[in-house]
Amino acid sequence: MEYVHAVWEEFLNFIGGRGGLLHWLLFCAALACCFFWGKRERRLLVWPSALALLLFFNPVFFKYVGTRFLTGVYWRLLWMLPISFVIAYTLTRLAAGVKRDVLRVGVIVLACVCIAVSGRAVFTPETYREKENEYELPDAAIHICDYIMGQLQSWKETVIVPNELLCSIRQYSTSVCLLYGRNAGGFISDIGEEEAAVYAQMSSETPDVAFVTRVAGEKNCRFIVFNTDFHRIPEDLTGYGYELAAVIDDVYAVYRRAE
Amino acid sequence: MNLKPVLVLSLMFVLAPVWIGTIWTGALRIRGRASRVLHAWVFGFATMLAAGQLVFVPMVALGRKLSEAQAVWEFCMELLAAAAFVLFLVKRGGQLFAGEKDSAAGTDLKKNAAADKKDCAEGGRRVFPIIFGVLAAVLILLQAYIPARYEHSDDDDARFIAEAVSAVVHDSMYQDSPIEADFMYWDVGEVRKDLTSPWAMFLAMQSNICGLAPAVLAHSYLPFFLILLCYGLYALIGSELFGGDREKTALFLIFLSVIHLFGYTSTHTLASMLLLRIWQGKAVCASFLLPLLFYLFCRILKGKGTAETALLYVTAAGGCMLSGIGIVTSPIVLMIYGIVDFCRHRKWKRLLAVWGAALPCAVFLGYYLFGFR
Repeated sequence: MEYVHAVWEEFLNFIGGRGGLLHWLLFCAALACCFFWGKRERRLLVWPSALALLLFFNPVFFKYVGTRFLTGVYWRLLWMLPISFVIAYTLTRLAAGVKRDVLRVGVIVLACVCIAVSGRAVFTPETYREKENEYELPDAAIHICDYIMGQLQSWKETVIVPNELLCSIRQYSTSVCLLYGRNAGGFISDIGEEEAAVYAQMSSETPDVAFVTRVAGEKNCRFIVFNTDFHRIPEDLTGYGYELAAVIDDVYAVYRRAE
Repeated sequence: MNLKPVLVLSLMFVLAPVWIGTIWTGALRIRGRASRVLHAWVFGFATMLAAGQLVFVPMVALGRKLSEAQAVWEFCMELLAAAAFVLFLVKRGGQLFAGEKDSAAGTDLKKNAAADKKDCAEGGRRVFPIIFGVLAAVLILLQAYIPARYEHSDDDDARFIAEAVSAVVHDSMYQDSPIEADFMYWDVGEVRKDLTSPWAMFLAMQSNICGLAPAVLAHSYLPFFLILLCYGLYALIGSELFGGDREKTALFLIFLSVIHLFGYTSTHTLASMLLLRIWQGKAVCASFLLPLLFYLFCRILKGKGTAETALLYVTAAGGCMLSGIGIVTSPIVLMIYGIVDFCRHRKWKRLLAVWGAALPCAVFLGYYLFGFR
């Protein structure tokens, strides 16, 4: 029962809960149409889909394959289903079956509207925005990297950056390394205890500057970057061994270890 | 987008695969110029991926440089391109010797063209394939343009793009951590998975070739080419499902576009993979590799022969490069298709041939699980 529940959760995760239910129902209805249309449709579209679904919803398969090889990504098995092809095929057949041209165009428009209304648009201001640069990374990440690359003492510098820049810095520069990055969110690799503690501090509006600078000093981080819009820290960190070196884009204060 | 990288990338992601893919179109005896080009593009790209997988995995395991792997891969591509050229010459030579046959075929073509004209004159129903075709093209171009023109950020790039940047700058492969840049080799955390699915190195290599930073290539240029490639494949699927009927194929593409444009019900759907992060290996797996296996299955089920089956092997090997999920899903899909094909044809040989295509995946999975330590 535990596995059945886990599989169901994976399924809901894939379709996006209730929001994706209508498209899923559309797929099921399309499969039903294909089932009654003939042998060819059954062989090409229905049986492969049915077998894939049987496998996906099989708790034994989940237990032995899902939990071993696909932890957290079991839902990706649903990519095996030709969902959009089955829906598009069915709608095309239905629309093409209408003989009168005007009526056919009406059916096509109606079907498109139904898909649009029951789904959710991919291209929205939430998903896509104007580019800041060709890298499609935040300008601030690039400016911070450029600044630090101009201050290199060896082939790389380790830095601590605000959370919103954790995933961008290393996409631009190999010389600017992070004390912790996406591993703070549980990805890529394990994170050390002290690094995790620094991450927790940097996630707070009022980070413990004494702690952050101490760990930074121990880990040979010459630079610490704070987001002055978010972090409330004293401007002068010379008492902690770091001095303000630059302010990037009026928001990011770059502190450098005082030599 | 600047013109120069677009031209270089057109060469790498369109012309080169089309050229290499002609090896397959000859073997598959594809008819029609547009269909041949589309088939060549799709199969050529799958071949490039498979060659990449066979070159990169051993070279990563041996701790070789990116430039060395690139040189070997380029050599393989040159060999394939030369083979395609030789096949082209042989075919042309054959056609020249069969001149009489050609002229007969030419007469047939003229007859067909005259029949087409007559059909066109017959009525407005012939207008629809053009209208639907134009509409489908507009929708597809829109989907290819927006991801290239606008910015979408995805946190998974912190691994893939960082790996590619490091490979380009240090001329190494998976030898430093994508976060701290400490020396680690590949056997750490999630990076371990990338040994058997070195898509990031493929990206780094393409980045080297065209002289663009990996982030620029992946975010600003690749989506345009890869989305068009995917829709090229979907057009082939539509054509196969509707027996080559252009109007229905165009309509199929319109519906497919609308489904994808409004398919963002979660970040996991095919629509999300295709239109939000197609530059990542797993997205290419979901949007290109699995549909390609489906397309080949459609052809194989019709009873077609060995070239399609050989392509299954190539596609499965290429799928391993894209992502760990490619290594897992390809064998499952092949198992399912094998069963359905067996129920249709009742031939053990065919079943084994289809299932055999999972061998590359089994080898790479085995290597991932037991091959190093």
